[in-house]
Amino acid sequence: MQSLPQRRNRIVISLTLAALITGVIAAVLWAILAAATTVSDSGSSRIDILHLLRMTSIQAGLTTLISLLVGTALAWALNRLRFPGRNMLIGIFSAAIVTPGMVVAFGMLSIWGRSGWINQASLAMFNVSIGNPAFGLSGILLAHVILDGAFAARILLARLDSIPQERLKTGQSLNLSPWTRFIILDWQAMRGTLPGLAAIIFLLAFTSFPIVLLLGGGPANQTLEVAIYAAVRQDFDLRGAVLLALTQIGVCSIIIFSAAALPAVPSSLGPSSTKSWRDRAWALGLAWIVLGLATLGFVLPLASVLVDGLAAGLINLLSTVSFWHASATSLIVGSISALLTLTFTLALSLGRSASASQQLRIVLGLPAYAYLAVPAVVLSLGGFLLVRSMGIAPGAAAPYVVVFANALLALPFAVATLGPPLDTIARSRGKLIRSLGLSSWQQFKLIEYPLLGRDVGVVLALSFCFSLGDLGVIALFGTQDFTTLPLLMFRALGAYRSDDAAAIAAILLIGTIAAFEALPRLFERLAHARR
Amino acid sequence: MLVVDRLTFAYRDQATPYQFSFDAKPGEITAISGPSGSGKSTLLDLLAGFLSPVSGTIATNGTNIVRLPPEQRPVSLLLQTESLFEHLTAARNVALGLSPKTPRTETKVAVDAALNEVGLSGFGARLAAGLSGGQKQRVALARTLLRARPVLLLDEPFSALDDGTRGQVRSLVVRLTSFHCWHTILVSHHIDDINAVAHRHYRLDNQKLALV
Repeated sequence: MQSLPQRRNRIVISLTLAALITGVIAAVLWAILAAATTVSDSGSSRIDILHLLRMTSIQAGLTTLISLLVGTALAWALNRLRFPGRNMLIGIFSAAIVTPGMVVAFGMLSIWGRSGWINQASLAMFNVSIGNPAFGLSGILLAHVILDGAFAARILLARLDSIPQERLKTGQSLNLSPWTRFIILDWQAMRGTLPGLAAIIFLLAFTSFPIVLLLGGGPANQTLEVAIYAAVRQDFDLRGAVLLALTQIGVCSIIIFSAAALPAVPSSLGPSSTKSWRDRAWALGLAWIVLGLATLGFVLPLASVLVDGLAAGLINLLSTVSFWHASATSLIVGSISALLTLTFTLALSLGRSASASQQLRIVLGLPAYAYLAVPAVVLSLGGFLLVRSMGIAPGAAAPYVVVFANALLALPFAVATLGPPLDTIARSRGKLIRSLGLSSWQQFKLIEYPLLGRDVGVVLALSFCFSLGDLGVIALFGTQDFTTLPLLMFRALGAYRSDDAAAIAAILLIGTIAAFEALPRLFERLAHARR
Repeated sequence: MLVVDRLTFAYRDQATPYQFSFDAKPGEITAISGPSGSGKSTLLDLLAGFLSPVSGTIATNGTNIVRLPPEQRPVSLLLQTESLFEHLTAARNVALGLSPKTPRTETKVAVDAALNEVGLSGFGARLAAGLSGGQKQRVALARTLLRARPVLLLDEPFSALDDGTRGQVRSLVVRLTSFHCWHTILVSHHIDDINAVAHRHYRLDNQKLALV
């Protein structure tokens, strides 16, 4: 079939970039493997890989299970309820994917910590302490479920919104009970997405770094990712770090290859529809309870970050030079990473959409998932070893490695955002574009960009926010002269300057939510202005 | 004259291949009818260049075009839906019929004239998404005017239109075909449309065309 516009230049550019990314990843892996064979075994490594693997898997498995349960319940409640501010609330839940883990971890301490809001309230009202659930496995799970449960809810809500109105009318005319509707309509709409969603959440939890670092509470709850960081930064056990990195890559690769066969999970989501369904009173009551609890669970930690951050240390923080340096570094790194992610995403996705060969499409899709197989800390470790083996001081290479690693960080989500709509345009409009003889540039300028303006904004927002909140890459490469806001916050926490940390957390939260909300709207508007 | 001679094509696992032979005169509308799945759209895809035949020829005015890619064929295409890019204005859609190197003032004059010829003067600034079904087809016909290709392929172009609009668009197709001496090939399973506009009518059955 020749109905796809012939775009050899797009395919060539895409293949070149795929080869470049694969080459860099291969070089990083080579550096790790080379270090594994050359670094001398001092015999003093106390790393128990099996224990770490077991802990990481248990933590990620429980996170996945609970997040899917919470996400399903929340999506169901949001789908049934209509109230003023619904769209805003859905927007807040949507921002979970970009909310920095450090910020949530900090919010968890404010709410569930020993001197947190809930413990204080419990002591004041019942004179009973709830202990310190913010630390250890319970804290890690709570923080993960806050982020991943909200992410799952947003994805599943889109599936519920996609149930055709005619099917709902038929169901309503048959007077389906809430449970029957859930089983024969809602579950059917959601179940296809659940396996892919589970794989994503498992990988996110498996490779989670800042939450485990801040809330782990010691070696008992350490994960592979944190253990790699500790091995390099604290124990100087490079051999142990390399073995952990190889284990991490192996497990992540197995999950990615297993998940490749599952249906894709859409990541670009439009406004939620409001199809009507008259529910029973008890079901509506239950939906309100679920929504109330979920909103409290998600919003309270973030609200506490804002309250604590904007009240206490903000003025002091604003008067420090290090804050302004870190802010400028974060903005520059975030902006360049975002542009780099967009460039990579466009090049890979435009090439894929122009390709009729399934094998070529798979080849062009693989680099997007490089990050998931080689997560931030591992990529950072590999980059560290690579530049060291090339005789370059890690400090000098730090900005380039951090920008490149951060660009790769958002690539899976960015490609999942831009890829499907570009494919749809190529397939639904390919005949018309080809018969009109439009050039590649005309096709992009007149057809693709105006239709995808919002998605371009989403990609920029995702990658900017991921970079802004990243601690995994910068943790190994950061220096006194090269510090981002998350690293500054981490150092402030380490130095018991909790007011400074709170203020930075609040600024990070405001920055990510503002970027996540504003960039898609801005680019949608810019794209429409070009009509 | 458009002459299609023993144009042969088979999908993978198709036992009996299609073989199409027919001719179409300039200024006339040649209709192709047949039941669903009989191969009408396959024939249009072959004529437009979206499918490559195993053998056979397609000749316009004596030149075989069967090896030309879609964008180089002397062919314009009008589909049942999706003939326009809905996010662009009517004028921008029509202007896609011209070379991008055409000067802006020249483009504006040509687009206005084409819209005028299809009875849509003053509609240029409207977004295609806001036009009615009949107006969209007329905008697509205006673009066809600017492309000035001798063959017009129509794939169920009237099916999505209501009765009143259907009559107007049918008359417009007949008038433009006659005036511009197009070889217009209409694929339809609506016998009313075919009776109203076609000069010749072929029926597609058992992978072959037969003059009705």
